[in-house]
Amino acid sequence: MQNIQDNNQLQTSFKEANSNRKKRISLHDLANVTLFIAAFIGIWQLVYVLGIWPEVSLPSPIRVGESFVDLFEDFTIFTSIGMTMYRLVIGFGISIAIGVTMGLIMVKFPGFGKTMSSFALGLQSFPSVAWVPFAILLIGLNDAGILFVVIMSSVFSVIILTYSGIQNIPPLYVRAAKNMGAKGISLFRFVMIPAATPSILVGIKQAWSFAWHALIGAEILIAAAVGLGHILLVGREFQLMDQVIASMITIFAIGLLFDRVLFSKLEERVRERWGLDQSIER
Amino acid sequence: MSSVEMVRGEEDARTNKVTDTDTNTNASKNSEKEMVILENISKAYNGNKTNRNSSNVNTSRSGSSTVLFEHIVLDNLNLRITEGEFVTIVGPSGCGKSTLLNILAGIDTSYTGKILIDGASIKRSPDTDRIIIFQEGALFPWLTVYENIEFGLKIAKISKEKRREIVMHYIDLVQLTSFAHAFVHQLSGGMKQRVAIARALVLNPKILLMDEPFAALDVQTRRMLYDQLVKIHEKTNKTILFVTHNINEAVALGDRAIIISPKIAGIKKEFKIDLPRPRQLDHPLINSITNAIIEESKEMYTSNSYFTSRYGNYSTESKPDLELESPQSQLA
Ligand SMILES: Nc1ncnc2c1ncn2[C@@H]1O[C@H](COP(=O)(O)OP(=O)(O)OP(=O)(O)O)[C@@H](O)[C@H]1O
Ligand SMILES: [Mg+2]
Repeated sequence: MQNIQDNNQLQTSFKEANSNRKKRISLHDLANVTLFIAAFIGIWQLVYVLGIWPEVSLPSPIRVGESFVDLFEDFTIFTSIGMTMYRLVIGFGISIAIGVTMGLIMVKFPGFGKTMSSFALGLQSFPSVAWVPFAILLIGLNDAGILFVVIMSSVFSVIILTYSGIQNIPPLYVRAAKNMGAKGISLFRFVMIPAATPSILVGIKQAWSFAWHALIGAEILIAAAVGLGHILLVGREFQLMDQVIASMITIFAIGLLFDRVLFSKLEERVRERWGLDQSIER
Repeated sequence: MSSVEMVRGEEDARTNKVTDTDTNTNASKNSEKEMVILENISKAYNGNKTNRNSSNVNTSRSGSSTVLFEHIVLDNLNLRITEGEFVTIVGPSGCGKSTLLNILAGIDTSYTGKILIDGASIKRSPDTDRIIIFQEGALFPWLTVYENIEFGLKIAKISKEKRREIVMHYIDLVQLTSFAHAFVHQLSGGMKQRVAIARALVLNPKILLMDEPFAALDVQTRRMLYDQLVKIHEKTNKTILFVTHNINEAVALGDRAIIISPKIAGIKKEFKIDLPRPRQLDHPLINSITNAIIEESKEMYTSNSYFTSRYGNYSTESKPDLELESPQSQLA
């Protein structure tokens, strides 16, 4: 009886420990960040006061703040962020779907896989803005053109890391799974994909960064009607530096949010679950 | 559809069998049914199996007589194992123990010879009636202990409730109930191997193939696992083929210990260990058999056969080198 109770306690403690990840945001870190931002704005204000650049080229932090308020008040900022995020989600989503599928096909057909992987490796480092003229001529100055650039810039990272992730699965896992009756689809679904997940995640993280670069670039170059890139474009054309900076800060914040919050957390969880951190500690 | 039905059918048979063996282990032991028959199993690794072109180059270079770079790991090996028997296999590193297990498991399919399991000739593919347990455990790190043990049942599309019942039974058998929701990296080495054993047992294999499962563990843990394995063997009456390079382990665990020699690429000698279980690890009979095997194995490590087994035999069609090392000349 005593034993069973102990067991139950242990059981729940494992469940809790596994679901209860480190959530504490350290106060120390928060203080550091605040100090850093304050110093940055301070220096900015100082440079502004010194008057090296005219007001149009370098507005004061307060002017940029007001511009932010303006953008908020007429909802431009929200519609822009919304539109940009919409494109990102669609483009990036398609990219992941195509990339993972392609990676799996490449594993299934090794001859094709080998050729395709060197091809993909070359295209991965292909500058994203270099796709823009091609996209405009092929598809036109529209949303689909922007999506095309986003997909082409990010899909190859997903392909490469899915493919190499599955190639590098310890053969022992596959042997054990086959021995336990897994084959074909079930082998892919229950062994290959989970085993390659840490690697696929690295690919997705890298792809996100490529997609994000490409998206803003394409929004500026393929004069989109709405979007964060469009604010930059309008700002440049009408010499609204305060608006340009406000948009840049927004782009920076979104990037940070994705990187620091979404992907870091995701990666941390996967590493913890797959026991990868522990192997480094040892 | 029908395959699912079949699996369910097997599953029912399993439950029956467990209760059966639980009550009269001795009766089934006495039946002496032959569970494994290996006939003339031969296995050679080719120097260049995948690269046909370069093997052609080799052939043309060597002139008229065809020279094949091949490494004979198993040469006409014969072995019979009765149901419920606990057979241990010892031999120096590289003598082909893992190769033999992989062949039996259906993972390695390039061999010649015949294998009969439970009277039926096997297909050259893995099957859940023979489950292999690896030295490293090969547990899936992305699954919990429970999910790892459940894996084979899930693949076999057994219903969730049924799976739960079976998993709970075996997780209890290896005494890991309290760790059901732990991840693999949260376990000790000994626990991992117990999970691997449970994961194999849920599929109710006819044969457990164990490839140095305890080699990476410390002495204390190993002794504990000996006890557990012997108890599991007693309860389930599984036929076990247990590979180890630890001679004492082989003698302490097995009903029969088989020595494989790289020199003859086959079974050199076997010892019957007629001792009731549980056994005392320092029982005089165990000691004397261990010493006999050590004596027997000494030359395996000293003779030049080590070189040939490591780096392969260059055998021409007339095979002069091989004849020098034939089993007959060895035993003479
Ligand atoms: N894929 C392979 N290609 C070529 N030779 C191989 C291959 N796998 C194994 N061998 C050779 O076959 C021989 C037997 O290997 P095996 O792994 O069966 O040995 P083992 O008895 O299990 O050794 P250990 O005790 O070290 O595990 C070794 O000499 C090895 O070099
Ligand atoms: Mg081995």
